[in-house]
Amino acid sequence: MAPKSSGVLMIGWEYPPHNSGGLGVACEGMTKAISGLNTQIYFTLPYALPGGLSHMQVLDCSDPSWSATGEPVNTPPFQAYDSTSSQSQVPRKFVASHELSALPQSEMETKVGEYAHLVAERAGSLHQSYEVIHAHDWMSFPAAKQLKEKTGKPVIVHVHSTEYDRIPSGNGSSYIMQTEYDGMKIADQVVAVSFYTKQLLTQKYNIDPDKISVIHNGIDPLHSYPDAGRHHFASKRPVIVFMGRLTAQKGTEYFIDLARQVLAKIPSALFVVAGSGDMYHELLFRAAGKQLTASVLFSGFVRDAQREKLLDRADIFVMPSVSEPFGLVALEAAQRHTPVILSRSVGASEVMASSIAVDFWDVHKMSSVIVELLNNRQYHASVVERQLDDLQHITWDKAANRIVKLYRSTFLGG
Amino acid sequence: MPKICLYFQLHQPYRLRELEVFELGSAAVSGKQYFAHNESDDNREIFCKVAQKSYIPMLTVLCELIEHEPRFTFALSTSGVFLEQAQQYEPRVIELLQRLARSQRVEFLAETYYHSLASLYSQAEFFAQVRQHEQLLFELFGVRPTVFRNTELIYSNHIGWLVAQLGYTAVLTEAVPRYLGGRPKTTVYRSHTDEPIPLLLKHAELSDDIAFRFSNKGWHGYPLTAEKYLDWVEVYREDELINLFMDFETFGEHQWADTGIFDFFRHFVAHFNSRKWNSFVTPSQVVAQLHEKNAAPTHRLSRYFSRQPQLVTLQTWLGSTFGTLLEKIASKHQDHKQAQVQQLPVYDVPEPISWADVDRDLTAWRDNALQHDSLRVIYELSSQVLQSNDRQLIEDWRRLQTSDHFYYMCTKWAADGDVHAYFSPYSSPHEAYRRYAIALADLQERLL
Repeated sequence: MAPKSSGVLMIGWEYPPHNSGGLGVACEGMTKAISGLNTQIYFTLPYALPGGLSHMQVLDCSDPSWSATGEPVNTPPFQAYDSTSSQSQVPRKFVASHELSALPQSEMETKVGEYAHLVAERAGSLHQSYEVIHAHDWMSFPAAKQLKEKTGKPVIVHVHSTEYDRIPSGNGSSYIMQTEYDGMKIADQVVAVSFYTKQLLTQKYNIDPDKISVIHNGIDPLHSYPDAGRHHFASKRPVIVFMGRLTAQKGTEYFIDLARQVLAKIPSALFVVAGSGDMYHELLFRAAGKQLTASVLFSGFVRDAQREKLLDRADIFVMPSVSEPFGLVALEAAQRHTPVILSRSVGASEVMASSIAVDFWDVHKMSSVIVELLNNRQYHASVVERQLDDLQHITWDKAANRIVKLYRSTFLGG
Repeated sequence: MPKICLYFQLHQPYRLRELEVFELGSAAVSGKQYFAHNESDDNREIFCKVAQKSYIPMLTVLCELIEHEPRFTFALSTSGVFLEQAQQYEPRVIELLQRLARSQRVEFLAETYYHSLASLYSQAEFFAQVRQHEQLLFELFGVRPTVFRNTELIYSNHIGWLVAQLGYTAVLTEAVPRYLGGRPKTTVYRSHTDEPIPLLLKHAELSDDIAFRFSNKGWHGYPLTAEKYLDWVEVYREDELINLFMDFETFGEHQWADTGIFDFFRHFVAHFNSRKWNSFVTPSQVVAQLHEKNAAPTHRLSRYFSRQPQLVTLQTWLGSTFGTLLEKIASKHQDHKQAQVQQLPVYDVPEPISWADVDRDLTAWRDNALQHDSLRVIYELSSQVLQSNDRQLIEDWRRLQTSDHFYYMCTKWAADGDVHAYFSPYSSPHEAYRRYAIALADLQERLL
């Protein structure tokens, strides 16, 4: 029988506004929904979150030595997933401090190891307050392992992204892949954010499929009504948007390649690449080399109001990711009444049946869908409508319910 | 002993402000706003800074030298976009230039108004920009240029032909060893074209001793004194011509005042002039002296007329009889001139050259894909833009043709990269391209 009020110790790495990718955003949506289900959450971070949070207790597990000045640490010691933080919603000052992401591997390993010790120490002393340990992505897995050894509590590891997604060539860090594997091995249960990810975990990491539950992320409803339409800018041209980190994972080069084909049919089409990342320079040259200057524009990294404006303005949103566990921004585009074309390697395609799914390499197909959407307003409108219907079912409450059920079964099962 | 021909280049581009994709097609971007004519105008800031450091002090030095040294003369080339900015941001620069023009000992050269690469892309556009520049020189200084120098001394046989079509009497360019061979650069050459035109070639070593090496403490010539420099110059024979061509900003901006560059220049001019066998010449004087040899008296007469701007009025006023006579004299003189030019050695330049970088070619502006494609788009817009009859749109399009925009996109990171970075207002060549592409997209939007 489940206790009336249960507790969970969550091991995090980042939390808005200091998030580098979808992980922080997902942790926010998930914890807010779980806290409403009579569950006390203790959430560890490798830095201090000034002011704390009302829906859960944040445990600062930072080491003062991480800060050069000896001041309290208030950002993660390194950005786990990217070099330039395209999804971050924090001021530029923080982004500039991203030199941290260029940490050599040994230092990254040391930081993760130190974090594991600190978590085991702080969360270990609270062991009477929670029944389950819930760890998010590889940076937290060593901590989960130590804490499990110390407290004997069951561990759920939540996989939001793997090294295979981030570096699709397979040449990712063997340390990170090993850490991911070890974490999933010691875990009592594994949560994957999509069937796509579950398949990857079974095929690439050889994890027992029976141990993996698929729980799709939710999305917060919009606070304000979307302002879709062409009035924002470039009102005389159809605008097709890519938004994401400019890395191999996101398949931005396919976006540039499809532009060429669409322009042959619709010469006034304008393609906007929003984001920054290690492939930025290469992509500029690719666009110019294919004679796409002034037809493919680079907005740089966008945040907040600009981000919303771009999604509101977009006539079509394209996510040609090579490997994307979930892909929250595709849902955000749909919320803003923009038809979404997704690669089949995007987890969100499993919950957004109305969006158009295409193989990421099938530039020809993507181009013809774009032309069709631009030429057929009725089709365009029907995709927007059906996407909004899909979104009704993609909520954090739904995800939270399943997670809490998993806590109970894991606890009882253990 | 040789003759020295001095030419200084005055140019400032209209740099792009921070343009955002989100402004495309909005009123905020249209008009002069690509180049930020407001309080936080980088162009104003840069212009005023350089004016204080270089334009005003050096123009003052030149005015003084013109007054005190009767045998001092030189040439200037001022881009139209430079003169516009001077009028707007620092009118004293215009006043000083006008003072020099009044002396009649300073020659103003022709160039494209927008300091563009139009000579490589569009004959019609090239002609239009040269005429627009002529017009401005006449309005501001009352002069009509007779000698041409192209943006960054860019030259090829084809450009020589274009310039001859415009009626100019000579072109300034660079002496590039791959085309000059082992021949001296201290003589006048002619273009490899049907109607040849005289070419004056820059003496890179002696020009760069001042422009680039003057304050370099690691250089064997350091410190460069007027006496030392004069020794180097006087190695050349009396019938040789040394063309010292450089950026005006050499004085006070590239070489700061505290390097002693202004004093050096004053002393050099005084020293050089103190020996009566030395002389300064301007490009049009070089051309005149070319024809002077063996010139018949009738030619002298006709040349007298041809030099008078009133000639045309006079001709009309005197009536057709005398006019026809004058025409005959002029045409005979023309034949004689052509014959003189034909005798000059040929400088055959099949591929464009320039004075930039170690390559002395176009790769500073047209090398990587960013540059090539930006140039493709701006010139592909030509007919659409011109047909729009929208004056503001045409002007914006032309300002976007200024060669500096492409120079900033250069990614040659050899020794030249440092020079490009020094001159670029943007953080990187990629940012230069990113912004330029947004400006182009906005132009396209305005044409829709």
